[in-house]
Order: sequence, then C-alpha cells, then structure tokens
Amino acid sequence: MGCGRVGSTVATRLAHEGHEVTVIDNEPYSFRRLPTDFVGRKLVGSGVDDHVLESAGVRGADAFLALTQGDNRNLLAAQMARHLFSVATVVARVYDPFRGEIFAHLGLRTFSPTNIGADLAYEALFKE
Amino acid sequence: MYIVVVGAGTVGYGLAMELQSLADHEVVLVERDRARAAELREELGEMIVHGDGTEVVLLETVGARRADVLIAVTGEDGVNLVACQVAKHWFHVERAIARVNNPRNERLFRLLGIDSTVSATAAIMAQIEVDLPEHTLVPLMRLHGTGLELVDLHVLAGSLAAGVAVRDLPLPPETVISLVVDAAGTPRIPTADTVLAPGDEVIAVIRSEAEPQLRALISGVPVDAGS
Repeated sequence: MGCGRVGSTVATRLAHEGHEVTVIDNEPYSFRRLPTDFVGRKLVGSGVDDHVLESAGVRGADAFLALTQGDNRNLLAAQMARHLFSVATVVARVYDPFRGEIFAHLGLRTFSPTNIGADLAYEALFKE
Repeated sequence: MYIVVVGAGTVGYGLAMELQSLADHEVVLVERDRARAAELREELGEMIVHGDGTEVVLLETVGARRADVLIAVTGEDGVNLVACQVAKHWFHVERAIARVNNPRNERLFRLLGIDSTVSATAAIMAQIEVDLPEHTLVPLMRLHGTGLELVDLHVLAGSLAAGVAVRDLPLPPETVISLVVDAAGTPRIPTADTVLAPGDEVIAVIRSEAEPQLRALISGVPVDAGS
C-alpha cells in the first residue's frame, strides 16, 4: 500500500524476486514510478477501505506493507490487514518513533524513517 | 474529570463547549490545522492547542497522562483510532472514545479495545431502520465496557421465535429479554411463560457477537444467509 518512492522500490524488488505482488495507491499517477515491465498488479483505491483491501486479495496474503506518507493511515490499514484479514506479517512505516514503538508492541513490524535517517546522517558526519 | 478532545471540527468544538459548561471538568481541544486552531483561539483561549493529537510528544505536553478520557472526533478514522490507541497504550488513559466515519470500521475499533465508538451513519440508520418493514434487529446502545448491547428486535411472522414461549427460545448465552411491546403498543415485562407473537417489539440486552443468531431467531433467515 502506497506507491511512493519506497513503496515502488520495494514492490519492484519483491516482484523481481518472483513474489506475487499487488500495489495499492489512490493516485493512479503514482504507478509511473513502477518499471514498465512490472509484472505485479496495480490497484487504484484507498488502502484504508476494507473493500479495497479485500479486492486486492489481502485475505490470504502472506504479508502486507503500509508505506504511505501518513503514519495513521498506515497504522489503520496495517491493523485491518492484521485483525480483519489475518495477515501474519504486517509492516508499517511510522515516522513518529514513539508511535512506532507502541504499535510494535501491538504486533506490527514498524520502522521509523526518522530514526533511520538520523542514524545515517550521524554516521555520514563522522565517517572518515 | 480531565478530558482531551482530538479534532476541533464541528463535532469536537460543540463537544468541548458542552463539556466545558459542566462543572468540575477540565477540557483541552487539540486541532491539527493551524488556521482552525487560530480561529478558535480568540474564543476558547488556552483550551485550544494546535498540534497533532496522535503524536506522543504533543499529547504529553497537554497532560494526557492525567487525562480520564480521550475523545477523538476528527473526520479521519485513522487519526481517531491511533489517537485512542496512543492514549490507552502509552498514557494509560482509562477511557477512549472514537468517532467512526466509515461505519464498517466500527468492528475493528471495538476489536482493538476502543471503549466506545460513535458513528453518525450507524445512528441515523438505526433511526430509520426501525421504520423499515424488513428491519429485525436494531442496536440501540452499547453498554460501556461489557461487550453487551441493548437491541430492539422485531418478531416476524413465520420466524422461529413467533408463537414460542420465552423459556423455550434457544437464546444465546447472556441474553436478557427486558421488555415486550405488542402490536397494540402495550408494554409488558416478560416472564418465562410469555409467548412472543408476530409483530411484537422486544427490547433485550445481548452480547454484541450474538446479533446474527438473534436476527435469525426472530426473522427466520438462517445465520449465514444474506450477510
């Protein structure tokens, strides 16, 4: 869910590795970020709508990744995938590190671009 | 009580004004939109805070830790759900209430431990459903923190319940039939001997998950059909 820079890159990589991938984005223009030979499915719609998730085949999916710019949208969609559609592995991008921590305790795999970015900036500063 | 309201739209603003007029309540209203917050500042003063009501740091600064209730009433379900979850899991706020914009999200919110949900769509549907001939079960009110709800049941002719005494009804566990109103509009408190007739209106307390079972009992439609 979310075909931004991160979403499109991960989707492309997964599809390339031979996984069956569906990308959801509410803005069809976002799909331009996918390569022209992308073999996965593209679905226009809101990832926080259970009907859209259902038609994306989230029920029965092995994993769901919520990678939009919105922490709360990601967390809503991720919890739908987890609790309504019983997806075993659910990943959510959460900018706010504290919020990420809370939801990691609640069974989601969260990562914070804020923390990761800060670490990389710090490393870049001190590397020789 | 100390109450944090997230979202200063029409609902949040009205709610905060109501709560503030009650004695002994302290209310803070959190609004993400800077212009809206500024617009309300003149009237509400310190009560309105500009910021993201789902952010831990912001909630910390408004004293969420000592809040008794957090009420999230924005137009976005993601915001409302997350604000409530942050309040409960990080700040251990006793009670979290969420507005649900998409009525289909109500089940998820309850599953995730939100204490109360309020859906305008569901509330209005309940109002008109009572008048629809095909209505059978209308949820009236949820009993806070119990998993129980008050429902209005309409006994249809030819259903499993029609013509059967209360004691012989295969009721789901923890179902209490509180009141029976017959077609003439006469209310009575049922006993085990009371026989339900088609057209009877029944007010009952049930477990929320027993809705399909009860609907089947009074409408004659099997549990799995039509859902």
